[in-house]
Amino acid sequence: MTLGLPGHLARDSLSRALAHAGHCAAWVCLGLGVVVGAIGATAAGDPVGWTGAALCALMALTLLLVARRPTVTSTLLYLVVGTATVLALTIIVMDPTYRFETTNNVALALPRVALVLVGGAGAGSVLGITWAALGYGLGEAATFLGAALAGAAWSPNIAAATAFGIVVVVRTFDGLSRRSDSRRETGLHRASQQTRELAIRHDYELRATARLHDTALSHLVAIAAAGSGPVDERLRDGIRQDLGLIVGRDWAIDHGHGIFADERAGTMRRADAPANRGGSGSDDAPTLENAFAAAANAGLDVRMTGDLAVLGLLGPARAAALDAAVAQCLINVARHADVDEAELALGYAGGEVTVAVMDSGVGFDESEVPEDRIGLRTSIRARIEQEGGTVRLWSTKGVGTTIVLTVPEGGG
Amino acid sequence: MSRMRLTQQEADPIGGITAAPIVAIGAVLALAVSIGLTVAHWHEVGSPVAAVLGIVLVGTAGLTAAVSAAPQFAPFTVDRLWLVVALAVGAAIAEYVSTIGNDRYLYDDYGPIVIGMLILSVAPYCTWISLLLAGLLAAAVLSILVVGSATATMNTVPIGALIAVNSAAVLAMSAAAAGYSYAIVDETLAWQREANRAALRRDAELRAGIARSVQQSRISVLGREVLPFLAGVMTADRITVADADRARELAEALRRALKAGIEATWLDDLAATVRASRDIPVIVDDPEGAAGDLDEDQRSALTALISWLGDGGRSSAIRVTIAVDPTRRRIGIEADPGADPPSRRDLDRFAAVARAVSMRAEVDVTRENVSVELSHVIE
Repeated sequence: MTLGLPGHLARDSLSRALAHAGHCAAWVCLGLGVVVGAIGATAAGDPVGWTGAALCALMALTLLLVARRPTVTSTLLYLVVGTATVLALTIIVMDPTYRFETTNNVALALPRVALVLVGGAGAGSVLGITWAALGYGLGEAATFLGAALAGAAWSPNIAAATAFGIVVVVRTFDGLSRRSDSRRETGLHRASQQTRELAIRHDYELRATARLHDTALSHLVAIAAAGSGPVDERLRDGIRQDLGLIVGRDWAIDHGHGIFADERAGTMRRADAPANRGGSGSDDAPTLENAFAAAANAGLDVRMTGDLAVLGLLGPARAAALDAAVAQCLINVARHADVDEAELALGYAGGEVTVAVMDSGVGFDESEVPEDRIGLRTSIRARIEQEGGTVRLWSTKGVGTTIVLTVPEGGG
Repeated sequence: MSRMRLTQQEADPIGGITAAPIVAIGAVLALAVSIGLTVAHWHEVGSPVAAVLGIVLVGTAGLTAAVSAAPQFAPFTVDRLWLVVALAVGAAIAEYVSTIGNDRYLYDDYGPIVIGMLILSVAPYCTWISLLLAGLLAAAVLSILVVGSATATMNTVPIGALIAVNSAAVLAMSAAAAGYSYAIVDETLAWQREANRAALRRDAELRAGIARSVQQSRISVLGREVLPFLAGVMTADRITVADADRARELAEALRRALKAGIEATWLDDLAATVRASRDIPVIVDDPEGAAGDLDEDQRSALTALISWLGDGGRSSAIRVTIAVDPTRRRIGIEADPGADPPSRRDLDRFAAVARAVSMRAEVDVTRENVSVELSHVIE
């Protein structure tokens, strides 16, 4: 999420919000005008009350027009209707029957305040104050004229003046506070973008880490362990296969977009890999080719139950991530479990594809795995979690290990 | 979060901080109105003590609002709104008591306008629902006073009309406050949705660029040492002792680099960016990688602060430490002042942003050191 409004939008957004605030207050004033008129007409039996209520309702409807389409035309229309309403109401209200001494009274305050709170077309403090000043001035002029026509005493309406004063104070404050440019200074919007970029970068670095680990570290360890002597042909094949994929390739991009998976699958087919062991895979459907190839290279016999076709429920990138994670599980079995066979079980339930990798080897305690052993954490757990999946592990020393990888169907 | 439960202070923290002075202005104006109107209808005052108490309560309500909205006391919580409204309603009651039996015009009573002004001035800090509710409840209390006042003065105007006009100021200003709060949160959320859509559209491009730049990173550089070595072994007939030693060294180096890579968080990447672009040392001490557990808004707030401190000669060095105790995650940011050191006022702005994203923030500025401590409860 992006925190707050950026500087370039603040002016218009604040202006609209302040205009909306004014409109809400104006509708309350006009609504109360309608209520007072209706009470006068019903409770006090004064039919003129209906006229007052109708005039206030007309003004409220015109204001709705300004709120929906704040154009110069709609604003001027509201000012004209409002001025006429104030004039008519002044003549009505200042009738001696109602015993108001001057035009500074609560009955006239309601439409007068609503006229000030016109909001109006355009954005910014100056325009906002200009429209409010027009509303106040026209209202005062209409009151003066109405008082003259009714033969009553005129006095400036304090409530309307107060409303105008509040508009001026708020709009001026808004204009001045935006000048300090604290939004641009704080750079929250930029920081949000940067945070997003950092997250993506971190994601890529983790992918690159897993990839380098899978391809290079095992070979380096094998070379170091072999000591001096002829190069083991299986090691040579393994290096050739991996370098063929990496050297000269833009591998971080390839890996990020799943091209790598296709390349790798193609290579494995050429390299006489035991592909499609489940018998249900096709050239298009994802398989666990890399996992089987890794097991074959490591001299591990894999027995599989379940249908490889369930992998077709996954997007290519997710299937490739699952394949790579299963491959790493099988490599771990070959290296550490001290057995020469493992079982794979594939299944689909509740919108998730599950692959269980089981061995009857020596087992281990995850908390005792040295910190620098990153295969489980990076190549398996991080990969699966990046795809929104989970990794569960059960291992008992001397009994064996089961790793269950679960990923949601679909995905990239 | 829905707009019903959001305030401008949360959705647009800078807007919330910028609005703080308007609360003080509103408080001063409310006090001035209460004094002015009390003086204007002093001839109606039967109990000067109640009249003075009313003004004191208005002052207290205004002071409470202004202090509560100050950035150093952010976030403004809903109980502060109720305290302000309760004090203002108390002032209205005191005014009613002061003129009881002599109140000639409801129109010149300051109670409704003062309550309305205070509710309006705290609009950036409250949800529209709570503002509306505060206005309605205050209007209900005022209506009870109006009924009492009308009975005392034997007013002939229908009581419903009296209640309507007497509530007008507080209802209109509460509606304005609620309308503002609703509209600004709505505008901000609309912008955020648009910004997020744009960010998603940009992501593909961004990912390609980042993928290329990742190749320049530490791990890729190491990869360029490792891969030629493996290629050499692949084409050789024999592995020599030197090869085995070199393989061991490279494996160790790779393990170390990979471990560092795994343990690095976005904060390390940010530090590297600031270090590279501003040429100042930025040290991150986050042994548990706790930076990775901060949510997106908290990361943005911290990113904004660190980037700002690193910019414009404000700091000559920055240290960030993250410590985790059982209940709280504590983030300490310390900076050695640069040529143009930051002021406390500037830092308060960032502290208020941090508070808006559920963090506690303390700022300490001395001549030798600038320190900001952020902490939040671990969920």
